[in-house]
Amino acid sequence: MKVVMRARVSREDLEEARRIRREMADWEFIEKQEPRIKEALKYYIETGDLYVASRIAGISVEEFNEIRIKARIPNVG
Amino acid sequence: MSVSPRIAIADTCFIIDWARYRNREIIYRVFDIVFIPEAVLREIKSGTTITWVARGLASGKLSLYTESEDEVEEARSLIIRSRRISHMIPVDLPEALCIVIGRRKGYTVLTENKGAIMATDIFDEYRGVIVWKALEILLTAQLEGVLSAGCNDSSKVFKEYEEDTLHIFPRRDLIEAVNRIEQEMCRQRGART
Repeated sequence: MKVVMRARVSREDLEEARRIRREMADWEFIEKQEPRIKEALKYYIETGDLYVASRIAGISVEEFNEIRIKARIPNVG
Repeated sequence: MSVSPRIAIADTCFIIDWARYRNREIIYRVFDIVFIPEAVLREIKSGTTITWVARGLASGKLSLYTESEDEVEEARSLIIRSRRISHMIPVDLPEALCIVIGRRKGYTVLTENKGAIMATDIFDEYRGVIVWKALEILLTAQLEGVLSAGCNDSSKVFKEYEEDTLHIFPRRDLIEAVNRIEQEMCRQRGART
């Protein structure tokens, strides 16, 4: 039998996600990056929005995701 | 009685995480077809993800979705509407397109974007769209026997995904998923032995 379910999200989830991203991020790595990448990483930490962050960085979503992982910023969700 | 196929459409943030997961092939046992919009394909760059997607397309398990002008237009409208609501996380084109296509075709939308999930709660015409994150796929895979549920450590599958992708599931969701596995899978096994 097929299972039926759906994802959900709450305001508390967003606050928790932001806190976890801030706490786990490698801030030394982030501060060493060139300005576009640095600001994009900071934007990602605050919003969790990979698409817009990649546009700030001027690279593809997946290229930005690789940098996110190097910066130890978790994708929380 | 025939069972209707389970069809999904995946956005970029989902695909690039999922392609890093050690058991990524299980998605083909949970879904009969997974569509990838052309806009998503353009965002994929790493060798690992390109190889996985190309092989999936070659085998017919993944399928390219060419979005129509009409779908893009509706997605742009959804983006604008999402930005008018102050308490909502706005959606951008990749996930907006998936929601529009999900509504029109009845596909499950695979995304990690919280704005996409909110959109289906806030806008009446999108309420019927089913959105899944990786967590729902991993849970379904265990409940349907695609992945064996580790009853000694019911969170094992989720932890493996977190390790492979640096993707952390919200604790509340994770606890609920683990409880469900324990109740529906592990107690059944215990009752049979």
